[in-house]
Parts: sequence; structure tokens; C-alpha cells
Amino acid sequence: MAVLEVRDMGIRFGGLVALDDVNIEVPEWEIVGLIGPNGAGKTTLFNCIMGLYQPNSGTVTYRGRDVSLLPTHRRVAMGIGRTFQNIGLVRELSVIENMMIAQHARIGYGALAGIFGSVRSFAEERKLKAYGLDVLDFLGLSDLANEKLDGLPYGTLKLLEIGTVLATDPDLVLLDEPSSGMGPEEAHQLGERLLKLRQTLNLTVLMIEHHVPLVVDVCDYVYVLNFGKILTEGRPKQVQAHPEVIAAYLGSEAEKVDADAQEIRDEADSGVAAASGGGKERDRGVS
Amino acid sequence: MTTATEVLSPADARTRPQPSTRGWIARIGVMILLAAIVLWRVATIEPFWADRFALAAIYGIIGLSLNVVLGYTGQVSLGHHAFVGLSAFLSAFFVTEKGQSFWIGLLLATLAGALSAGLLGLVALRIRGLYLSLITLTYGFVAVNSIFDIPALTRGGAGMPAPRPSGFATEHKFALLCFLFLGLVLWIDWRMMKTKVGRAVLAVKQSEAVAASYAVSVTGYKVLGFMVSGAFAGLAGSLFAHRATTVVSADFSFREALIWVLMVVVGGLGNRTGVVIASMFFALFPFLVGLVNPLEHFVIDTMGKDPEELTLVIGPALALLTIILYPGGVGEQISPITRWFRGEKFSLHPDGHKPKGKPHRAAAVLRHLVRRGR
Repeated sequence: MAVLEVRDMGIRFGGLVALDDVNIEVPEWEIVGLIGPNGAGKTTLFNCIMGLYQPNSGTVTYRGRDVSLLPTHRRVAMGIGRTFQNIGLVRELSVIENMMIAQHARIGYGALAGIFGSVRSFAEERKLKAYGLDVLDFLGLSDLANEKLDGLPYGTLKLLEIGTVLATDPDLVLLDEPSSGMGPEEAHQLGERLLKLRQTLNLTVLMIEHHVPLVVDVCDYVYVLNFGKILTEGRPKQVQAHPEVIAAYLGSEAEKVDADAQEIRDEADSGVAAASGGGKERDRGVS
Repeated sequence: MTTATEVLSPADARTRPQPSTRGWIARIGVMILLAAIVLWRVATIEPFWADRFALAAIYGIIGLSLNVVLGYTGQVSLGHHAFVGLSAFLSAFFVTEKGQSFWIGLLLATLAGALSAGLLGLVALRIRGLYLSLITLTYGFVAVNSIFDIPALTRGGAGMPAPRPSGFATEHKFALLCFLFLGLVLWIDWRMMKTKVGRAVLAVKQSEAVAASYAVSVTGYKVLGFMVSGAFAGLAGSLFAHRATTVVSADFSFREALIWVLMVVVGGLGNRTGVVIASMFFALFPFLVGLVNPLEHFVIDTMGKDPEELTLVIGPALALLTIILYPGGVGEQISPITRWFRGEKFSLHPDGHKPKGKPHRAAAVLRHLVRRGR
């Protein structure tokens, strides 16, 4: 049985059809990629799955249970974790406090008990802190526990966000561009870390990702979204070779094409230079 | 395998270097000493000032109430005089007309404050920012012009008597009672922000999507934030009523709501110590004017104003200075001391780091003035 099933998902913003009849299935223990050009509706789909947007049609089924009508926080409490494209952390809280709020659903005292300072709330707070520190240790961030978020590097914040999602105790994680702002080397490390996380925590992952090598490395299956529709799906290698995917990417990412073309031209120029240089030498050789 | 390291470095030792036992004793000792000095002054000072200090403590509670809305939930309430006033009238009504004890009146007033603010919280689910502050503003005006005119509550405008409880009838004892309640509210505020409610409210303030992704019920915590603020306001309203011993509508006008917002800004949004200090200053200011003869002469004879009206001149000026020079308000200015109480080493700057770049503008201005003075 699939962990997550999205059926006939559709949402419109005014006249714009952001998602149209999208069907996605995420089987147990798989890392499923969701790729597509900018504006294809990837993050919108995430927001619909989490319940942050109310779709016009379609259902979200989590482990056989229809969660389409549940509010976001209930879905999170059931085990669906989610990261954000531009970092979903609470700026006013320190690193460790962010780890503590992530455990919100599993806090063992009531709001009023906390407000009036019951004995139990003190003990529970210590437990939350200890667990938060354990997760930070796991990610190698425990030195930063008491730091404020301001001034921490972007990559660290991205990693911390993954930490907070793990602290919500998910069994399905939706990652929105986890490698954004990372270099190729860091992205590669991230891929290894994701595989390790799945191994140790039995996670199932659905992730939006632009970094193609990372997708090919870690994903078991890939969906391609374009203009709100599923363009194609399949194993990463198959999808990579699919002509429509190439067309969709090349068609919309003109800048990248330009850059590539420039690179090719540069290479050609330098080749010409080398050739002409060689020619000069040859000339000299002749003279 | 892990037990050895766990024994050597238990979870809490990994966080921050903590002061020694003697360090903690010193901090707690100083704190108790400060509280004792305040309570001793309140208990021994002449009755006129004891009564003013009672008002200062009540303003402290009102400041903390508004601080919950302004500082923690990030909304603006310009209708807090309605919450405080409604509770003041209800408390007096239950004690005088229904023959209930002061404590029942206080409890009912607190609950009424929480409920009425909770209603506003439900409105805040859909509206925020400028429009919400407009709604609170109109809410305040509607309350003043409707509820505060009900003859049964106001005795036809003459005012509802609000007798003090038998054990706390004197100025001194009632002032002490007000300070005890201020202490209770400070404790609740502290625990709230240290536990799940505080973290949830701050997360909702920043981003509802992020908060929900941490399994925080956005709806619940928005309403809860307003209800806590309302409960504080209700408690303050009841104490206000029984301090004055007669509740009249004129005590709760928009003027008050404005001053209360200003005093929270001057105190420093979200900083409970700063807010209490600033609130007390605003409560005592009209009477402090009376201590300086030339100033009193200038205000009353030259300007033709009541010292109380001067608060609406000084308040905005202070708020303006705060926003320009010290956005953190009084709370930021006293932060070296509060940081020390929290268990950090005493230093003028956080983490012992000196601030980068230019010295602070206020400091520069001061230095300039001192140099010119020489």
C-alpha cells in the first residue's frame, strides 16, 4: 500500500489552472522526486498535500486514510513532515528552541499546565531539550544549540530545517528543494545523508529538486510536472532521456540554454585559439 | 557504550556554561532583595504614594496584557480600555449588586476579560494588521458608548461602588495585593513564553504555514493568545475598580488605550521586564511632575494643563525616541542586568561580544553633549 496517494488533484487561482488532474503515488520506503520547470506547480502541490491550500478537486490519502479535510497541523501530527523552499524556521527562537517547537505534537503537558508552571511541564521541557540536542548531535549541529538563527549560513539553516522536520517524528517527509543554495559537493553529501536517514529512520520521501545529479543519485522514481500537469513519470534515467522533459526544461529555462550555448561558444573559441596558436607555431616551424 | 559519555556530559551541560551554585545563590539573593525592597517601600511609604504604587502595579499588569498582543502575537489592540473597563464594571457589579465576595468578582472579571478578548481573537483569525487594529479601535468605541452607558452597571452615570476586600481595605495592604498579583502575572507570562504556548505563538506570528508544519494549531493559539491577554486585562480591571472604590465610565477612554500601547512600545515589545518598568513610569508620571516645583508650575500655570494630560505629550515623545534610538526600548537598555539574572556572565553586550561598526547613536549623542558641556 502506498504511503501517500494523491488522486485527481486540481486547483485554480482565479483563471490560472495551477494543478490539473494530478495523480501521484509514493510507495513505502521510496524516495520519490518531483521535478519540473519554475512555475510548474510543484510547491502548490506540496501545499495541497499539507492542507495549506484547499484544492478545488481531488483527494489526499495517507496510509489508506483520506486526510483531505483535516487541517494542516493534524496531518503533521499524523506523520507528514514538510520543509520549505525558503527555510521554514522561527527566527525569534534559538536553534534548540526550534528543535523544541518541532516536537509540539508530542508534548506531554497541556497549554494551561505550561502557563501556570506545573511541575510536570518543567520535567517535560527538559526531555524536549534533551531529544532536540540528540537530533542536533546527529546532524553535527549541537555546538550551535543556543545560537540565534540570524547570522547562521544558509546551508546550516537548510540542514537545521531538516533536523526540525525529523523532530516532528514523521514517517513521510516532503522536502522542498533541499539542495537549494548548496554547491555540487554539499548537494552530494546531502544525497548520502538522505539515503542514510531513510536507512536508519525508515523514512519515505517526496522531494522537489532541481539538482539533476542528486535526483538521479537518490530517487527511486520521478514525476515530472509541467504547467500543472504530470508530463511523465518513471525511473530517473528513463525520465532524463524523455524528449518531452528535455523540451519542457529547454523551453522554459532559456537562461540556462543561453549559458550553455555561451559555454559551447567559449570552448569553440579557445579551441580555435589553440588551433591558430598551433598554426603560428607551425608557421614558425616552417620559417 | 553511550552510558559513559552520557554520565560525563548530561544533556543540559551541552547547552550553555552555567554559573556555579554560588553564582545562582547570588542571583536569586539579589532578586529576592529587590522584591523585598519594593514591597517594604510599598508597605511603609505614606498612604498617598502607596495608592499611586497600587496604580503602578495595575498598569504593570495592563502593560503585560497588551504585551501579549503586541509583542507575542504581533497584532495591535487599540481597544484594551474596553476589556479593562468591562471587567472593572463587572467586578464592581458582582460585588455591590450581587453581594459576591471580592475574590469571586475578581475571578469573574478575569474570565470575562478572557472571553471578550477571545471573541476578538476569533475576528483576528480572518483579519490582521491594520484592519484588525481598526476593528479593535471600533470595538473599544462601541463598548464605551454602549456597555459603559448601561444604567444598571454605571448607576446612571454616577459610578458603581467597588468596595475593597475586608483584609485589604487600607491603601498599603491593597497596594501589596496589587504587587502580589503583578508577581503572579509575571510568573504566568514567564512560564507561558518558556513552554509550548510561547513557542507556538511566536511561530504563528512569523508564519502560519511554518507553525502549522510544526503541528501547531494556528486557530487555537491565535485565540489563546488573545484570551491570555484578555485575562490579564480583566484581572487589572478588577483591581483598578477596587482601588478607585468607584467605577466611572470616564476612567476608560481611548486616551488610556493609546497610552497603554505607547508604554509597551517604550518598554520594548515582547520584553516583560522593560514593559513593567515603562508601565509603572507612565502610571506614576503625572504624580512625579508634582515633585518638581518648577515643572509643576510650568505645566499647570503656563500651559494650563493637568499633569495627567502631559502623559499624552511625553508618551509619544518617548515612543518616538525609543523607535529611533532604542527599538528594544527599556528592556534593551537594562538587558545587561536581565541577562545576568538569567545566568549569563555580566557584560554590556550579548555573549561578551562588542558590537561591530559605529558606536550606538544614543551613546554618540551623549558623548557629544558631555564634551560640549566641558
